[in-house]
Amino acid sequence: MAQAEAHGHHIHLQYQPALPLPNGKLFLWLFLSTEIMFFAALIGVYVVLRFGTPVWPRPHDVHLSEPIGAFNTFVLICSSLCIVLSLEGAKRDNPAAAKFWLLLTFALGAVFLGVKAYEYQAKFSHGIYPWQPHSLIYERPDVYYASAVRKRMVEITTPLVQRRGQIEEQLKKLEPGSAQRTQLEAELQQVMQQLAICEQHVLSVVNDTDVKPEQLAQLSYRIMHPWTDQQGKQHPPLGEEFPILHGLPMVIPGGNLWASTYFTLTGFHAAHVLVGLIAFAFFLPKRLGLDRTVHLEALGLYWHFVDIVWIFLFPLLYLF
Amino acid sequence: MTEHDTQHHEPHDTRVYWYVFFALFVLTGASFFTYSDYWPFHDTPAVGWAFMMAVSVTKATLVMLFFMHLKYEANWKYVLTIPASVMAVFLIVALVPDVMWRYDPGPGGSTPSLERVRHAPRPQEAQWLHPPAPHEGRPAHH
Repeated sequence: MAQAEAHGHHIHLQYQPALPLPNGKLFLWLFLSTEIMFFAALIGVYVVLRFGTPVWPRPHDVHLSEPIGAFNTFVLICSSLCIVLSLEGAKRDNPAAAKFWLLLTFALGAVFLGVKAYEYQAKFSHGIYPWQPHSLIYERPDVYYASAVRKRMVEITTPLVQRRGQIEEQLKKLEPGSAQRTQLEAELQQVMQQLAICEQHVLSVVNDTDVKPEQLAQLSYRIMHPWTDQQGKQHPPLGEEFPILHGLPMVIPGGNLWASTYFTLTGFHAAHVLVGLIAFAFFLPKRLGLDRTVHLEALGLYWHFVDIVWIFLFPLLYLF
Repeated sequence: MTEHDTQHHEPHDTRVYWYVFFALFVLTGASFFTYSDYWPFHDTPAVGWAFMMAVSVTKATLVMLFFMHLKYEANWKYVLTIPASVMAVFLIVALVPDVMWRYDPGPGGSTPSLERVRHAPRPQEAQWLHPPAPHEGRPAHH
């Protein structure tokens, strides 16, 4: 070195990165490895629980729609293609194309989340929640289920019984033939009709001290599905036919475990999709030229990872 | 940002991405085919599971090689992917004994707590909740 200085030359040191890729890309790949471990753990647990239980619910019973899952898979695959084309646009120094494809990626990601929200709503509206006390799912048609149904029926019938008492009190004070009396009598008839529905369809089953599990299973079936009575007449589910009977507990064997695993896996995945969308929203206003290829590549890597996780989740949750 | 000069940022021919997209679309359809009535192996679900996992692994490999560009990257990709794959295999091997642990209070199962015995669902009761075939639109799969 002293000789070089004596000759008046500067020593030019060349920066040699340890790996031939930018720090940001290396970081993102290491982050993706941790995310892979995170999802591998959740999926592994799902596999163990699903194949270790004696009974798993049928997709129809838990309002799981396989075609909607397939549509969501298709949406994410399209969005992966779009972000790769956005990166290609940036590499060709075509910011307009890059922005167009990135916007399309964002839109498709939003469509995925919208469809997920619709699916969640379909489950919540039928009383399928991943936690108590909102969940109406029971595992066996046993005495605990009957007791839960009785408790719900008390909630339903108490206001009806109170109203009946009030009307009867008022009717005692009124003269026959008055308009008010006829109105109250009509209302009384409606209340009695509602109580009769409760008695006929639900209370006659659950208040019977010798009720058999098969009968409770039949009640749960009628709550959940369209059913045919002994005369051969078709009925919709009880909560639809008689709005007074909404919110009744159901028996879905394995349903609670199904709900826990389904909502955990899809919830964490949806959270990752949302983070991806926020990142897209951050970059969309910027000019996506050649200097932004590194950022677009990083966004793309994260988004492809989210797509790969869904590629595994779709058959595991919907088709197994 | 001098590091990115060492990277290969030449644009690709985009046709390969469209081909991969089409392959992914076809593979998704294949995976979804196990749901349709024309799938011949409804009686042996294990065939369907193996098929779906093979399809998913193929799709994931296509996304990783082409969309995530790993086919064209330098040898550092092995530093990241090989340990991750090895750990994934460890995870599966470690969980296999637990999959065999059926929480079924009957012969051949484990001995669970009284509370679990009382509340665990029974396959026979699940049968009562599924009506005979005429009421259903399609035959029960499992």
